[in-house]
Amino acid sequence: MLSYVIRRLLQMGLVLLGVTILLFIIMKLAPGDPARIMAGMRGTPEVIEAIRHKLGLDRPLHVQYWRFLTELLTGKLESMTFHMPVKDLILQRLPATVELGFAGFLLAIIISIPAGIISALRRNSLIDYSVTTFALVGISTPVFWTALILMIFISVQLDLLPVCGRGETLWGWSILTLDGLKHLIIPAVALSSVLMAMNTRLTRASMLEVLRQDYITTARSKGLKEWVVILRHAFRNALLPVVTNAGMQFSEVLFAGAVLTETTTAWPGVGRLMFEAIARRDQTVVFGLTFLMAFGFVLFYLIVDILYAYIDPRITYD
Amino acid sequence: MFDRLIALDPETLEPKPFLAKSWELSEDGLELTLHLHEGVMAYKLAEDGTVVPVEEINAEDVVFTFEWIADPANASPNMPKVTGWMEKVEALDDYTVKFTLKFPYAPILARLNYFGIVPKDTFLEMGAEAFNSNPVGSGPFVFKEWRRGEILCMVKNPYYWIKEPYLDEVCIKPIPELATAVLALEKGEIDITDMLPAPDIPRLRENPDIVVDQCPSLTYFYVGFNDTLSPYNDVRFRKAVYQSFSMDEAVESIFMGLTGIRAYGAVPPTLWANDREWLRENAALPENDEEAEKLFAELREEGVLPEPFRPVIYTPPDPRRIKLATIIATNLIVDHHIEAAVQPLEWGAYLDLLYRSEEKPEGEAGIYIIGWGYELPDPDDGLYPLFHSDNAIIGSANNMSFYKNPEVDALIDKARSTLDRKVREENYVKAQRIIFGQDYVHIPAYHYIETNGVRTWVHDFKVSAMGDMRICDPFVNVWVDERSSRK
Repeated sequence: MLSYVIRRLLQMGLVLLGVTILLFIIMKLAPGDPARIMAGMRGTPEVIEAIRHKLGLDRPLHVQYWRFLTELLTGKLESMTFHMPVKDLILQRLPATVELGFAGFLLAIIISIPAGIISALRRNSLIDYSVTTFALVGISTPVFWTALILMIFISVQLDLLPVCGRGETLWGWSILTLDGLKHLIIPAVALSSVLMAMNTRLTRASMLEVLRQDYITTARSKGLKEWVVILRHAFRNALLPVVTNAGMQFSEVLFAGAVLTETTTAWPGVGRLMFEAIARRDQTVVFGLTFLMAFGFVLFYLIVDILYAYIDPRITYD
Repeated sequence: MFDRLIALDPETLEPKPFLAKSWELSEDGLELTLHLHEGVMAYKLAEDGTVVPVEEINAEDVVFTFEWIADPANASPNMPKVTGWMEKVEALDDYTVKFTLKFPYAPILARLNYFGIVPKDTFLEMGAEAFNSNPVGSGPFVFKEWRRGEILCMVKNPYYWIKEPYLDEVCIKPIPELATAVLALEKGEIDITDMLPAPDIPRLRENPDIVVDQCPSLTYFYVGFNDTLSPYNDVRFRKAVYQSFSMDEAVESIFMGLTGIRAYGAVPPTLWANDREWLRENAALPENDEEAEKLFAELREEGVLPEPFRPVIYTPPDPRRIKLATIIATNLIVDHHIEAAVQPLEWGAYLDLLYRSEEKPEGEAGIYIIGWGYELPDPDDGLYPLFHSDNAIIGSANNMSFYKNPEVDALIDKARSTLDRKVREENYVKAQRIIFGQDYVHIPAYHYIETNGVRTWVHDFKVSAMGDMRICDPFVNVWVDERSSRK
């Protein structure tokens, strides 16, 4: 296992390097001149050129890439439009994304996995139909619509929660304040609605598949208690695809943010930051954020792969 | 957080004293001497939460501010707004500043309202980046904190030299989704928001806790044509497109009569020299399918309209402009069998297209929809950038049609370099009558109506045609009553 992990970590370095090269090429090929956008509609050729020169965008491409990469790795990469280091900008937004990602994900898992199990066990019952309908609605409903509906009813009509924003923070974390927790609820519920729906369906399908297996029949015939059969035998085997999907979802919301949720609820996370940076053509912020996302995805897939080995003893790495 | 040299009267938009208590303009209009108030201090928030003085704002700071902006090494986006007219700036003494102009620039006083004056020593000590993140100025509020994308907060400067602000703290919250901003306003989580969507206005007007405050803004949106590409450079084609649909009905349907009004020229109705009545009666073309078809047929016969002809109407990612483009395209398709298409583009790609390139100087976009925001309450701030040939520059055109008419150039040049308001107005009016009544360079579409939603517990706040939000300045001092949720 250790050698496997080391190998994967080394591969991670190569993957990340490849990501930076690909990203740089895409940024340079994309339409829209950053200097022109920063100069604004009244920018003259002189000021556009001055901005280009100040940001080093008139240097040869390989020089620009090397500068981006070295400054990224040493933490010195500066945002072109936010006038602060990219590292500080991301760190300022990351707690918000972590809070929203964890909250949305946990809420989704806590509800979706038991719902999926129960739905599979009570197949074709009223409970099953309710759960599958709920999942279908959840997948079909755009997250921004869900967020707006929650804001209208819960915030404005019932006056139970704030409408938008992040609220008060303590040491940069809103979950450490009551006001911050209140602000987190609607974005987390909106985000979890989509995650929940997908996980519920996947858990149900996976459980149904496993419950049909011969070893489940064997376990029952040996007189094991039903909850032992379900949780220790069926669920554990059904968990693999659920873990894979959950890992993907979690790394996506954690590192890519949830752009639609963040935009609709004015939640200041990295998803919204990425959207803003792309619109402004702030190449350094896009570069830094994408690198962070790639790092996060690769790391999480490694963790998921390791988890496989613990969930299913048949899986080994050498 | 910063004061400017000149203020604008909120009603008339005329220049008024601010940091400059008085001024003289030389007879030839080339030298403007301003006399500053003495004892105006810049303040900052100390670590213990008290507001402390930093340095006095004087002539040296004014000189520094303008020279910094004009210096290409600083790559300020505001550079053209200074170098376009300023020859040099100097401090004659501690409280007297003299600007030497490149030409008699009539809107100079309005232009000086645009720039906040920065304390030189503090700026140099902190450096530009640090100052940008932690600004220090002489304004009625001092910087407290800025969590980018989340909130910017300022606390009151109790020692503000004009008047003590009533409000203890002002925060600005960026809320990207307009529907969310409206909900936050209805709940009372925010006190003021702008850009209220038209469909929400009737409902908000019935809310006893909210006032919908409106005034025509200094904006101009239009359908532009490429004056260097056939058939778009043929005035018959432009008139044919103009008459193929009803702009009046289009604007009504987009704005529901609430947040936009029909434009007939480039100068908004709140500004002088708008010539709105004449342009509406004599230049605007109502829908006339027969006349339009006659012109299209003539162009086809002469071979000016190629076969097949599939014009694309380009727009930015704005639902209102996309809707307008769709209306035009639909009318061309249905009534004139011209296979028009609508192509929304993201801003970066859109500007690349409109600004053209050395490789393709004639441009690719034949028809486009775009807008212009006036920064100054002066017709020059729209007519010169949009129609003067000086601004038909590959790579950064504001005159995106690349329209070049020496007669119009001469009229605009005359208007911007004389200080006589009557002469200026005459020349701007003549220029517009050629642009819109003869050459049909644009189809004027609409001016936004600046629309703010304000909680009734906010007092002394008025919507501004300039689009800014005045909280405390020589004319206003906003306050909130005990109903405010944050009291």
